[in-house]
Amino acid sequence: MVKSGGVSRKIGFAFLILLIVLFSVFPFIQALSTSLKYQWDWGNPSLIPTQINLEAYKELLNIGQEEKSVPESVKNLLDESDLTKAQRDEILAKYKETGDVFPFLKYFRNSLALSTTGALLSVVLAIMGAYSFSRLRYRGRGLIQRGVLFVYMIGGILLLIPLYRIAVAMGLLATPVGTFLALLIIYLVQTLPVSLYLLGNFFRSIPYSIEEAALIDGLARHKIIWRIVIPLSWSAIVTVFIYAFMIAWNEYLFASVFLKSYDQLYTLPMGLRALFYSKNAIWDRIMAGSMLTATPVIILFMAIQKNLTGGLSEGGVKG
Amino acid sequence: MGKSLKQRESTLGWMLILPSTVIILSLILYPIVSNVISSLFKVSLVEKDTFIGLENYRNVVSDINFWKAALITFVYVVATTLGTALVGLGVALAMNRQFPLRGFIRSLILLPYVAPVFSVVYAWKFIFDPVNGIFMDLTVEKLGIFSQRFNLIGNPDTALWIAIVFSIWKYFPFTYLMILSRLQAIDNNLYEAAEVDGASRWQQFRYITLPELYFILGSIVLLRVIWNFNKFEDIYLLTDNLKVLSIYTYFKAFVGIIDLGQGSALVIIQFALLLVFILIYLKKVLKW
Repeated sequence: MVKSGGVSRKIGFAFLILLIVLFSVFPFIQALSTSLKYQWDWGNPSLIPTQINLEAYKELLNIGQEEKSVPESVKNLLDESDLTKAQRDEILAKYKETGDVFPFLKYFRNSLALSTTGALLSVVLAIMGAYSFSRLRYRGRGLIQRGVLFVYMIGGILLLIPLYRIAVAMGLLATPVGTFLALLIIYLVQTLPVSLYLLGNFFRSIPYSIEEAALIDGLARHKIIWRIVIPLSWSAIVTVFIYAFMIAWNEYLFASVFLKSYDQLYTLPMGLRALFYSKNAIWDRIMAGSMLTATPVIILFMAIQKNLTGGLSEGGVKG
Repeated sequence: MGKSLKQRESTLGWMLILPSTVIILSLILYPIVSNVISSLFKVSLVEKDTFIGLENYRNVVSDINFWKAALITFVYVVATTLGTALVGLGVALAMNRQFPLRGFIRSLILLPYVAPVFSVVYAWKFIFDPVNGIFMDLTVEKLGIFSQRFNLIGNPDTALWIAIVFSIWKYFPFTYLMILSRLQAIDNNLYEAAEVDGASRWQQFRYITLPELYFILGSIVLLRVIWNFNKFEDIYLLTDNLKVLSIYTYFKAFVGIIDLGQGSALVIIQFALLLVFILIYLKKVLKW
C-alpha cells in the first residue's frame, strides 16, 4: 500500500519512527545513565555520565562491600600488625554486620523462589486442566471454560480484602513460613486462569489424529499426555511458565499487605520501594536496582517473544 | 471393567480439572461471596463481626472523598484508554509500512510493556524529579515554559496527568500488537481496487482500514477499561498520593484507621460499576 512519496515525506516518516522509538526507550536509557553517574552528576541533563561510577551495582550485588564499612584506622592497624589471616578475618567480620548494606540479593532470592514455585505449580495444574477441557468430553465442561475466562477479568484489588481475611483467620500470617505459603497460593491463583486459557488454546491446535492413533494402539490417556501432548507443546509450556513467572515477579499489591511485618521476606517490588523511602540520595542505587530487576524479565521475554505475540494477538495477555 | 470409554473419559476429565476448579472456587469465587457478606458487617479482626446492614454502603457514598476518587478514576480510565488506543493505532499504521530495521524496532518498542512496573516507575520519578529531572531542566531552563522548578508528581492534580502518560507509555505496545496483527490480515486487493477508483489515502483509511479494525478496537477499549479501572501498582508506585478508587479502597482497608467492612463495600461498588459498564458496552458496541 506504500507508494513512494517525496523526499520530505520520507524524512517525516523517519522522524516519526525515531520519535516512537525514543518515547519507548527513553526511560530505560535514563535509568541506565543515572545508575552509572556520581551524585554530583545527577542534575546534569546529559545522558552520558561525566565519569562512570559502578558503585551502585557493586553495593546491590554485594561485591567488595566487606572492606567499606571498616574504618580506615582499623584497616591500617591490620595491615601493619602481623596477625594470621584467620584472626584478621575475625576482626573484619565484626564490622561486616554493622554496615547497612541494602539486602538486594536476599529480595532477589525471595522473588525468584516465589515466582518460580508459583509458576511451576500453575503450569502443572494448567497442563492437566487445559488438557481436560480441550480434549475430553464431560458434563459441565463448557461452564468451566467460561468460568475461567470470567475469573480472568477480576482484578487483584477485588480479591485482596477477602483473601487477607481468610489468611488471617487461618492463622497463616502468624509465621513467616505461613505467610510465604499464603503468598505462593495467591500467585498460583493469579496465574492459573491465564495459564489454563493459553494452554487450552494451544492444545486445541494440536491435530487430534496423532492422539487418536495412539488411543487405537491402546495407549492410556495419562500416558498420551505424558508421551505425546507434553513433548509436542514444549514451547507453549515454557511460554506459559515464563508468562506466569512474570505475573508473580511483578506483583506488588498482595505482597505489600501480606509481607508488611516480615521484612526478611520482602520481594523485589517491596524492597525497591523500601529502598526508595529509606535514605536520601539513592537515585543511583534505585536506578541500578531497576536495571537489575528489569533485565532478566526482558531477556526471558525476548526468548519467548515469537510464541507470546501469537497469544497476545488473540487477546490472551493481561496487563 | 464394565465402564464404557465415554464414562472413563468423563471421569478422567473431571479428575484433571478438579485441582484447578477447587483452587479457583475456593480462592476466587468464595472470596467474592464472602466479600459481599462482610460488606454488610462491621468487621473486626479481633472481635466478632456485627451485622449493620447497608451502613457501610451509606458511609461510603456519603463521603465526599469517595466521589472525588470516582471522578479521578473516570478521568484516568477514559484518558488512558483513548490514549493507548490512539497511540497504538498510530504506531501500528507506521509499523505496517516497510522500512529498514523494522523487525528490530518492532521488538524494541515492546520494552515498556515487557519491563516490570516496579522497575520502570523510578525512572519516571527521576525524569520528573524537581531537582535532578530532565523534564524540569528542559521546561524551566531550556525552554522557559515554567518560571521555576516544581514537583509535578507530588501534586495530585498534575500527578494524574503523569500517571496517564505513564499508562499510555506502558500499554501502547499491547494495543499496537493487537491492531498490527489485524492490519496484516486485511486483504490488499481492497486497497488496490480503491486506488483504481481514485480514492485518496485518507479515504482508504476511513472506508477500508477503520471498518476492518472496528471490532479489534472495540475489544481493546473493553480490555483496557477493565484493567485500567482496577489498576493499582502503576499509580500507587508512581505517585503515592493520587487516589483513584483502587488506591482509595486500599487506604480505607489497610492504612491508618483500618475498616475492612467499608473496604469490602467499596470493592463491591467498584465491581458493580465495572459490571454495568461491561454489559452495556458488550450490547451497544460489540453487538453481542
